[in-house]
Amino acid sequence: MFIRMIAKAFLRQWKKMVMIAFTIALGASLATAMLSVMMDVGDKVNHELKAYGANISVVPKNASVISELYDIEDGDVSGEYLAEDELGKIKTIFWAFNIVDYAPFISTEAVLDEGSTVTVKGTWFDHHMALPTGEELDAGVISMRSWWEIIDGDWLDEQKLGSDFCMVGTGIAQKEGISAGQTIRLKGPKAEKDLTVAGVFDAGSDEDNEIYVPLDTAQEISGLEGKVSSIEVSALTTPDNELARKAAEDPGSLSVSQYETWYCTAYVSSICYQIEEVITDSVASAVRQVADSEGQILNKTQMLMILITILSLIGAALGICNLVTASVMERSQEIGLMKAVGAHNPAITGLVLTEIMCTAVIGGVIGFFAGIGFAQIIGHTVFQSAIEIRAMVVPIVIVLVIVVTLIGCIPAIKMLQSLRPTEVLHGRA
Amino acid sequence: MNKRKMYIRMITASLLRRRSRMVIALLAIAIGATILSGLVTIYIDVPRQLRAQFRSYGANMLLAATERTFTKEDVDKALAVIPGEEIVGVAPYRYETVRINDRPILAAATDMEGAKASSPFWKVDGSWPASDEEVMVGKNVADTFRLFEGDRISVTYRPEDAGEEDLDNSVDLTVTGILDTGGKEEDYIYMTIAMMEELTGEDRGFNVCEMSIASEQSDLSGYADRISADSSVLDAKLVKRVTQSETTVLGKLQALVLLVTIIVMLLTMICVATTMTAVVTERRKEIGLRKALGASDRSIINEFMGEGLVLGAVGGLLGAVLGFWFAQAVSMNVFNSSISLMPWLLPATMVVSVLVTGIACLIPIRSATDVDPALVLKGE
Repeated sequence: MFIRMIAKAFLRQWKKMVMIAFTIALGASLATAMLSVMMDVGDKVNHELKAYGANISVVPKNASVISELYDIEDGDVSGEYLAEDELGKIKTIFWAFNIVDYAPFISTEAVLDEGSTVTVKGTWFDHHMALPTGEELDAGVISMRSWWEIIDGDWLDEQKLGSDFCMVGTGIAQKEGISAGQTIRLKGPKAEKDLTVAGVFDAGSDEDNEIYVPLDTAQEISGLEGKVSSIEVSALTTPDNELARKAAEDPGSLSVSQYETWYCTAYVSSICYQIEEVITDSVASAVRQVADSEGQILNKTQMLMILITILSLIGAALGICNLVTASVMERSQEIGLMKAVGAHNPAITGLVLTEIMCTAVIGGVIGFFAGIGFAQIIGHTVFQSAIEIRAMVVPIVIVLVIVVTLIGCIPAIKMLQSLRPTEVLHGRA
Repeated sequence: MNKRKMYIRMITASLLRRRSRMVIALLAIAIGATILSGLVTIYIDVPRQLRAQFRSYGANMLLAATERTFTKEDVDKALAVIPGEEIVGVAPYRYETVRINDRPILAAATDMEGAKASSPFWKVDGSWPASDEEVMVGKNVADTFRLFEGDRISVTYRPEDAGEEDLDNSVDLTVTGILDTGGKEEDYIYMTIAMMEELTGEDRGFNVCEMSIASEQSDLSGYADRISADSSVLDAKLVKRVTQSETTVLGKLQALVLLVTIIVMLLTMICVATTMTAVVTERRKEIGLRKALGASDRSIINEFMGEGLVLGAVGGLLGAVLGFWFAQAVSMNVFNSSISLMPWLLPATMVVSVLVTGIACLIPIRSATDVDPALVLKGE
């Protein structure tokens, strides 16, 4: 009989039920979408912040301060170097997955045809790597210098063009009258080479007075085969906390459990530490300008999203609550009739609750999937990538919908129980 | 006059009599309006607030000398181009090669307060130099010379025009802090401008000036062009790495907040509408009765709409205030700064609330008035 009554109620009042289900679906979709976006926004913004370039720089342990500062005659030659064949190891550290990009650099001096001396930097542009893990990665300055403005020609596409090309900073290009497509001769300390200019860039910094060439070209003209002088690494990191700061000073000062927590968290200091472990005689340090600011902006964005999510959750909850109250209240006449024919309060409460709950479940399920849809719209429009739906969202939305619907029923049920059938049927309540 | 009095009386009586339902309706509208005004305020104010956060990336404009150096007056003249409230930090630098233990080191002289503001990411172990006798050294320099906080160092300088038998200038300074940035700053030592003048014996002006300005990239390049055009000794350049990346990231964040605002607002408004519809549908009987008594469709619609609009306006007002309060709370919590008040948002929120309520009421009223009163009264 109970089931029949409920089924009847659904059939008879389907319009009303659809409306309740619709509102609950709206609320649930709002909650799902906002929770999903909120939980994923950190990762997404972190990726966007990679636009600022490397947050870790790796240099040889014995690089002399003085030679770096003053470019003492052939200073680089006497310094120590990192080994090029170790570069792949960076992608094998514990947090390898968080290393999104990196590029080695080697710097040398070269003389142009006209006799002027320029700084030549060898690096990766879009170096293709097949990692031991089976992963493939294109790394290099094309993605790590996203702010370079190419004012003539195009980026040097290493994979297509090979190593006989170069990119020239706008400062040199203007001074020497170099434009894209032209061939220039670079006379290095050891060898000389003709290179075609692939593009001219404007970096808005000292880099404008440098020439960038593929790594092996720079090694060839400087005679530094197999060596690199620094590595820039772009890694996804967790904002620093007290533990990370303590560890950054001296990892030895941590207790065993603290050390484990630190090592297994993607703090910039632990990633640096792990890079030092795999690259022989290296010092990896956080580029504070990028690393610190990153953490700050990440924290702020996440906080902002959390607060907006809370507001939307409250809005969704109150919206559902309200509608449930309104729609139960309007059934006073029907309930009055039931009471008049002898229905007890618990029976009526049970009936109303079951009806609403059935509707809530249907609405909630529809809303959940609609919410995932909304989250993906946001993800694709803003970040051009899908929002990952965390498993946590499911229980939160279920609990939210059930609790909110129940709360919405309370005032209505209280009112229904206090109804006096005669008054209702008479039309006075 | 009488008619209008009656109309007002009917509306107020109806609102008061059906208190519980009206509270529900009012609550629904107020929630909608709160979300509307709160999110719109955040959306409009967020770029400004976030831009201030992005200043933690440091200087986004550099003033370089076209010849050798420039003076404080040149900098002040350049600053006049930029609106004062947008300037976050200005740090002019003068670089000289000095010697510590006979080894050459690059020394920078700057305004410490300005450097602190324009390079907030600098981490100083110890403290910033507070007096002229104090010096801050880069981490690499500290490692090379094994310097610690509190050590005294002797810094020497040999003027270019010094003769064979002239002694080098020398000053003794106390190390107050060790600078850790992960960049080339770690190779320098930092002293005050006055001390540099004392050491070198001359005021040679500055080599470069770092500026941190909280404006959009397009405004920034405008300022840079104006400064370069106005001054014969200054060449203003944008730090592309900072400005370009900021534009990219900020654009994404703004798009995110915009999209979230639109979706949340849309869903909430539909929610408000369904609740209003539910509240009005309940009164089909009343409408039927009125019709049976001879009321015209027009007068019924007028009365119900009047009610709806009063609710919409009151709810909108309530929501606008709550929304502002919410936005303020968010701003204080996230950015530690108060939000700028936008007076136009109050009427705007009320208008939207009234519109949404009006549309939400109109549909059920229409369907009720279209039906034969006899059918409505019978409850079919």
